[in-house]
Amino acid sequence: MSQHVTIVMIEDDEGHARLIEKNIRRAGISNPIRHFLEGTSAVDYLENAPEGPNHNGPALVLLDLNLPDMSGTDILARIKGGDGALKRTPVVVLTTTDDKVEIQRCYDLGCNVYITKPVNYESFAQAIRQLGLFLSVIQVPGDEPTA
Amino acid sequence: MQITDRLFNRLVLSAVTVGFVAVLLAGFVLFATIQRNQEFNRWVDHTYQVQQALADFRIQLERSETARRGYILRRDQRYLAFLQSSMRELPEALAQVERLTIDNPAQQGRVAQIRTLYERQLAFVQESERLVSAGAIPQAVNRFRNDGSIENIIALRDILVEARAEEQKLLEVRTAQQTAGQQTLLWVMIVCGLLVLGVAGGSTFVIFQYTRDLTASRRSLTRLNANLEGLVEERTVDLRRANDEIQRFAYIVSHDLRSPLVNIMGFTAELEAANVPLGELVDRVEQANPDLLSDDARSAVRIELPEATGFIRASTQKMDRLINAILRLSREGRRVLTAEPLDMTALVEGIAASLKHRTDELGATITIQAMPDLVSDRVAVEQILSNLIENAVKYLKPGRVGRIFVRGRAEGTRVVYEVEDNGRGIDPKDHERVFDLFRRAGTQDQPGEGIGLAHVRALAYRLGGIISCDSALDQGATFRLSLPAVTTT
Repeated sequence: MSQHVTIVMIEDDEGHARLIEKNIRRAGISNPIRHFLEGTSAVDYLENAPEGPNHNGPALVLLDLNLPDMSGTDILARIKGGDGALKRTPVVVLTTTDDKVEIQRCYDLGCNVYITKPVNYESFAQAIRQLGLFLSVIQVPGDEPTA
Repeated sequence: MQITDRLFNRLVLSAVTVGFVAVLLAGFVLFATIQRNQEFNRWVDHTYQVQQALADFRIQLERSETARRGYILRRDQRYLAFLQSSMRELPEALAQVERLTIDNPAQQGRVAQIRTLYERQLAFVQESERLVSAGAIPQAVNRFRNDGSIENIIALRDILVEARAEEQKLLEVRTAQQTAGQQTLLWVMIVCGLLVLGVAGGSTFVIFQYTRDLTASRRSLTRLNANLEGLVEERTVDLRRANDEIQRFAYIVSHDLRSPLVNIMGFTAELEAANVPLGELVDRVEQANPDLLSDDARSAVRIELPEATGFIRASTQKMDRLINAILRLSREGRRVLTAEPLDMTALVEGIAASLKHRTDELGATITIQAMPDLVSDRVAVEQILSNLIENAVKYLKPGRVGRIFVRGRAEGTRVVYEVEDNGRGIDPKDHERVFDLFRRAGTQDQPGEGIGLAHVRALAYRLGGIISCDSALDQGATFRLSLPAVTTT
């Protein structure tokens, strides 16, 4: 994953966002991170921003399911249900819910990875760092291949 | 309403009673009237008999007289036989009259007169017989004309007519009485008939009324019953909705509580991590230039900060465990149960095997006795029993060899399982408490959050079961689980 890929983080809890960002950075990922606190502005960015993923801006979405204005699954459905380039954007669901039904639903809707945030911080930090390592090796559509 | 009902009932009852008593009285009156009429009839009959007897006497008398004359005139022996037989029968006919009129002094007087006259006549007749048989016909004829026997006969006739008239008078009186009696009987019968009709009609009316009321009340009862079922259905739906609401609430609360907890724990870790370079800095400053370092700063970095973060960490970890427990309970509540036939002996053996390591360490034994099978949800039953048996192992009394018994018995449509231990026991005042969430009892020397038994009880309730505890301090404990033999899911 090259530097051109924008990480779009949709997370209503600023603390969580900060902790996620810290740990991703600790894993050596220096890509730009766009953080949205609620669903509406995030969807607007994803669908309409000129540099956004719908206009072939390479991006990866980190999605929390519990948002104040809309459900994370709704956002997931909008990302994966459209016709444009947006539906190819990888989505990593990163949430506190470990409910089986919820996990199934997210994969049904087309999420690429589902990660439960561990409450224990050591595990949490570990998980995010591993996610960071994972991000550093995956390929994102719209991204120019790294040489 | 109720009072008037009762009054009405009482009125109806007394009316029916009065009716029946009246019918009974009428029956008596009827009986008495019939009896009296029979008496009248007997008297009338009696009078006829007297008249008949008088007539018999008279006929015999006339026959004797005719036979006497015939004998005197013709000396024919047939007349003599005729005369003698008539004279013999006359006293008998008279005796008959006398017997019949024993109650009547006037007639008795006449009978006495007749007898006197008859005896005189007998003497005349015998005299005539003697003269005729001796061949003295002219004397006999002469005597016949002059001896006064003709007057005697006339007197007899007169008395007989008198007696007959007397009987005729009596007959008239008695016939009138008889007619009147029959009239009375007719009226009594009419009254009785009307009374019976009235009582029967009234009773029928009352029965009809009651039957109608009964039918109406039965119909309304049926309607009420149907309503009741509907009501129960409605309440059940309400309850289920409320229960679902609570489950969802518990889930959301526990879930949303985790979010800030992640932050608290995360930033606590960040603080601890940040304290490491700070500590090193303090160490370096202390070495290079101790004057720059105040006591406050030193203790803040080396003592206060680690202590604070330590407490925060311990508390948040505990909170995390509690939230997880609530989450698990709410999830258990929403899990779909699937009933299947369970081999309970095998199930408990499996639990005992999983605890073998612990029991071997403690030198305790788990004895499995008779275990009736049941049809229920495997996971739930396994969780309940493993919780109970684990507790039994966990709370043995130190210094006493642990003996744990697991047994069961069928009780009607239910099965009761018992997990008995000889451990430290539970104070009776805590028997309810131990089943509450986050509540524990006794010496707190074992790790735990007070979740297990709450979980057990929630599961037991879901299976339609009951769990209870029988124990005293130091006396061991017996947990009794009663489940339906067949759980329908």
